Amino acid sequence: MWKLIVRRTFLTIPQIIILSVLVFILAQAMPGDALTGLIDPSIDPATIEAMRERLGLNNPWYVQYIDWIKGVAQGDFGQSFRFKMPVSELIGGRIINTLWLSLATLVLTYLIAIPLGITSGRFNDTWLDRAITGYTYVGFAAPLFIFALVMLFIFGFQLSWFPTSGSVAPGTEPGTFAYFMSKLYHLLLPALSMALITTVSTVQYLRSEIIDTKQKDFIVTARAKGASESRVYNRHVLRNSLLPIAAFFGYEITGLIGGTIFIENIFGYPGMGELFLSSISLRDYSVMTALVLLFGLAAIIGALLSDIILSLVDPRIRIK
Amino acid sequence: MAKNNWSKFLFLLMLSFVLILAACSGNEGTSTEGNTSTEEGGGKEADEGTKLENGGMYSIEDFNNVKTNNGEAIEGGNITFGLVSDTVFEGTLNWNFYSGDPDAQILNWFDEGLLTWDENYVYTNDGAATYEVSEDGRTFTFKIGDNVNWHDGKPVTAEDWQFAHEVIGHPDYDGPRYNSDFTNIEGMEDYHSGKADTISGIEVIDEKTLSITYIESTPSLLTGSIWSYPLAKHIFGEMAVADISSSPEVREKPIGFGPFKVESIVPGESVTLVKNEDYWRGEPKLDGVTVKVISSSTVVQELKTGGVDLISDFPVDQFPDNAEMSNVEYLGAVDRAYTYIGFKLGTWDAENNRVSPNPDAKMGDVALRQAMWHAVDNKTVGERFYNGLRWNATTLIPPSHPEFHDENNKGREFDPEAAKKLLDDAGYEDTDGDGFRETPEGEPLEINFISMTGGDIAEPLARYYVQAWETIGLKVNLEMLEFNTFYDRVGNGGKDDPKVDVYQAAWGVGIDVDPSGLYGADALYNFARWENEENERLLKEGRSEKAFDLAYRQEIYNEWQQLMVDEVPVFPTLYRATLSPVNNRVLNFAIGDGTGVYLNELAVSEESPIKAE
Amino acid sequence: MRIDKDSGTQIPDVDLGKSPSGFSILLRELIRDKVAFVSLLFLFLIIAGVFGASIIMDQNDIVKVDLFALYEPPSATYWLGTDYGGRDIFGQLIIGTRNSLAIGILVTLLTGIIGILVGLISGYYGGTIDNIFMRFVDFFMVLPILMIVIAFVTAVPGYSIVSFSLIMTAFLWMGIARLIRSKALQEKELDYVKASKTLGTSNFKIMFFQVLPNLSSIIIVTMTLNLAGNIGIESGLSFLGFGFPESTPSLGTLISYARNPQTLELRWWIWLPASILIFVLMLSINNVGQALKRATDARQRRG
Repeated sequence: MWKLIVRRTFLTIPQIIILSVLVFILAQAMPGDALTGLIDPSIDPATIEAMRERLGLNNPWYVQYIDWIKGVAQGDFGQSFRFKMPVSELIGGRIINTLWLSLATLVLTYLIAIPLGITSGRFNDTWLDRAITGYTYVGFAAPLFIFALVMLFIFGFQLSWFPTSGSVAPGTEPGTFAYFMSKLYHLLLPALSMALITTVSTVQYLRSEIIDTKQKDFIVTARAKGASESRVYNRHVLRNSLLPIAAFFGYEITGLIGGTIFIENIFGYPGMGELFLSSISLRDYSVMTALVLLFGLAAIIGALLSDIILSLVDPRIRIK
Repeated sequence: MAKNNWSKFLFLLMLSFVLILAACSGNEGTSTEGNTSTEEGGGKEADEGTKLENGGMYSIEDFNNVKTNNGEAIEGGNITFGLVSDTVFEGTLNWNFYSGDPDAQILNWFDEGLLTWDENYVYTNDGAATYEVSEDGRTFTFKIGDNVNWHDGKPVTAEDWQFAHEVIGHPDYDGPRYNSDFTNIEGMEDYHSGKADTISGIEVIDEKTLSITYIESTPSLLTGSIWSYPLAKHIFGEMAVADISSSPEVREKPIGFGPFKVESIVPGESVTLVKNEDYWRGEPKLDGVTVKVISSSTVVQELKTGGVDLISDFPVDQFPDNAEMSNVEYLGAVDRAYTYIGFKLGTWDAENNRVSPNPDAKMGDVALRQAMWHAVDNKTVGERFYNGLRWNATTLIPPSHPEFHDENNKGREFDPEAAKKLLDDAGYEDTDGDGFRETPEGEPLEINFISMTGGDIAEPLARYYVQAWETIGLKVNLEMLEFNTFYDRVGNGGKDDPKVDVYQAAWGVGIDVDPSGLYGADALYNFARWENEENERLLKEGRSEKAFDLAYRQEIYNEWQQLMVDEVPVFPTLYRATLSPVNNRVLNFAIGDGTGVYLNELAVSEESPIKAE
Repeated sequence: MRIDKDSGTQIPDVDLGKSPSGFSILLRELIRDKVAFVSLLFLFLIIAGVFGASIIMDQNDIVKVDLFALYEPPSATYWLGTDYGGRDIFGQLIIGTRNSLAIGILVTLLTGIIGILVGLISGYYGGTIDNIFMRFVDFFMVLPILMIVIAFVTAVPGYSIVSFSLIMTAFLWMGIARLIRSKALQEKELDYVKASKTLGTSNFKIMFFQVLPNLSSIIIVTMTLNLAGNIGIESGLSFLGFGFPESTPSLGTLISYARNPQTLELRWWIWLPASILIFVLMLSINNVGQALKRATDARQRRG
């Protein structure tokens, strides 16, 4: 298994490099740069040009790229052109918010999926099952951003149950209990909106898995031996059905990445997705590139994680 | 499998949607009842009626720029200032280095210029320093007040002021301030290029006295062209110039001599300030101020709940829905800005750093440009899109400069018939019967118009102009571009896109009225790429020594405004108001310039902000 | 099934164990499945209605700004009210749906063609070609595609509907390529392919005239489901402001007005109808797709 991890890691490196080159070229191709925003009659255009020169914005992309990659190799993502603070510092402030949001979403996803999936699978073709399957159909069709918007409209604006933007109530002291609660309160609606949509595939998967498993010989045998129904489910069916779900954990991370861009945008939640969109419009290349790389890396690691879990769970699956 | 079930579910879902819809229209019902029940024609009137009930139309004249004081000031107190920005602030907290408006909003609280100005932006002698001008108008002698001290207790000295000039003029300086105001100082260019170690035109006479000699004497010197922000030499003197802007003394523990002192900073999010007891105008009444970033979508909520007392900039489009907010008073002022439409008349000659007009430009015919101005109804645009908070602009010097804005000049009024006549006379006629005019040479005329995205109104506004031009028979193609692409194509980099004929943009104007930086033949920002002898002469006269005479300068700029109305290389479309809601507990606050209300007098009448009912 | 990580929409992995059974079965199944049939009818109705209406309607008239009709709530004149430009929401909805559907179909076809070509060639030949193609596909699959598409859209000069669909296509063909490849791999081991080969039929002929028809029902199912996904991605991008150019009505653009809290809270008629329409569209398409999928899977076929 270690061999697998090492091999996959080596495969990752060229991927990351190609990705970074791609993003770098794209950044260069975008009209304007980080200093375009300075346009102001009281600032001499020659001065801006001199600043551009000093920042190296006039160099060909490969020169800038080499400068940049040298820094990255040493863990330095460079300076944000726009905010003049280290990129790592800028992202650092946001990454925590996004991590919390993702974590809450994952927890909620499984909290919803497991009971629903089990109920639906165990009592298949009952009314309960039909209702749950109906929900998965709807959740499957509803685009995340529309669903989130409607959630915000109903629970944020019409009912005023939840805050409509931000990650924490202003003025709360970091470190206090109130601060923690406020953070939780702010991420509940975004996380729930995302979880309600992302969970449906897991519900569906779990359902069919359970239906499949319960027809299998060893279950039939267990039942024939007189094991109680709940024992059959808890002991045998669940164990066999839940493991593959655990394996999807890594892929879920990949799914979250795209989701956070929408969710953070809609709920005005200051995370990495939102930072990415603003860095695009501000032409803050260094931030943008770093974010794409981080997200790419997270996706790759997520996929790797899932593959590893899968290969542990099911030795038949061998990853090349 | 899931057969009937989901269709039932879908039904339920749709039902819930309908219920929501019904609930919403229920809310709406009360205010628009008259509207839905009346017929087509009456509907609009009824709408007008409801809008007026809400106070629908506003005018900048209805707003005061000084807060009405209600109640007695209490001892001390703290206020929160909401910095409205959808991004974090940079945190380059020094006047000599900052580049974004958010940073300036924070700087205002703890640092200030040594000179203050009146409502006409002319330097006065009641600031932290006083000044005298020599006979020839070139040498200024400044005297810094004896009680003006940095936050650390050290006096603000003439050397600090000289040092600021030396840093900005230094080849390693990485901020955006070095411009023609500095090159106008004697010896600055030699110093900048490294030929001299000091700036010969700046002389420290004694600890608190400085003199600066300028190459050219111009009235602009009195309106903002003197660099009046000292840089604490005892702190930054030992640093390499290139390192100052990223030093902790700029970013984490910034220093100034303003009414408040920075206590702590959460990078990008908030700044806590406490009063500077030693402030030269007198000890501030408030104990402290918290500046925090709020996004434009939460402004209203923050104001209503008392989360902020003051804000930097209120999104005007949210005003009509919130005009009745009970816990604030809205202050208003004329913004130093205008929106305009420009015509591309040439290209930029990067080699010689000047415009290179193209006599054959598509928009080269002055009658065509005049007609396009006559065709647009900016009065209605301002009323309908902005509820009167933006209004028809007449000349290129906005009313934010009351001394120079020519009120008698009406610009070109909305008159489509005049527009058509102008085009007819100039030979633009529809010869092939497609409903659009052709050029006098009989070629089809298609005008490419670009405008910037941003905000909800941007696109319909631009489209309105296209429609207005269509009614006088001009075929205009609209392209909406985001900010960076827009300026790239207009020619911010000196490479103008030849496909662009007309563009819509806006300028914020400085406190100095001189428009050379925007319309001079050597100005990169002269995106119209227009050159005109009379224009050059007037711009030059406006900066001449003779123009120290106010009446003469007014006359020159009136002539210039008229020239622009005649020639129309660009035409102004809208002037704008800035609004600033202020919590009712705040006392002694004003926006705008030369009000004589200073931040050390700011006070509150209650311990905590008043909340909306 | 998995979540398409970059649009927040979901694209099912179509894994159809059984060999296809022809269009007639697909059609029969579809008619038998009441829900799917209703969905299909509904879809046809929307498509016909929207394309029909957009021929009658004058697009210039719909995007015409009317200064005296800003923010009108729904009324007899404006069935769904007007937006901040005084433009009829109902008309924009029709044109927007047409644009969104058109680009969805275009992208689905383009990705389908590329995916089928790459998948067929890769699966049929195997070996080095397959390896190279699949490394390439693997690389694309892990990219944070949404972010890259956004960067692309920003970087492309003079960007238009055509370039937008090309950009989308460039990053969305991999899923179908993978699927077709795995099917082609199975297929080429079958006797009929081997027989054809011994008979000396050219590889080209085998691929396109023998293997491809056998994969047709999988392709139909996948493309149907992809269509829903692509409409979702388009509207998502337009919602974020990186989709259709601003002056082109699209469902996503209409919904994006809701990013202004005032609009979201007070003027639901601008964004809610478009939201519901997208949702219903995707539900119907998915539904037809699922029914087709069931039809191709003998285990789940009804009767």
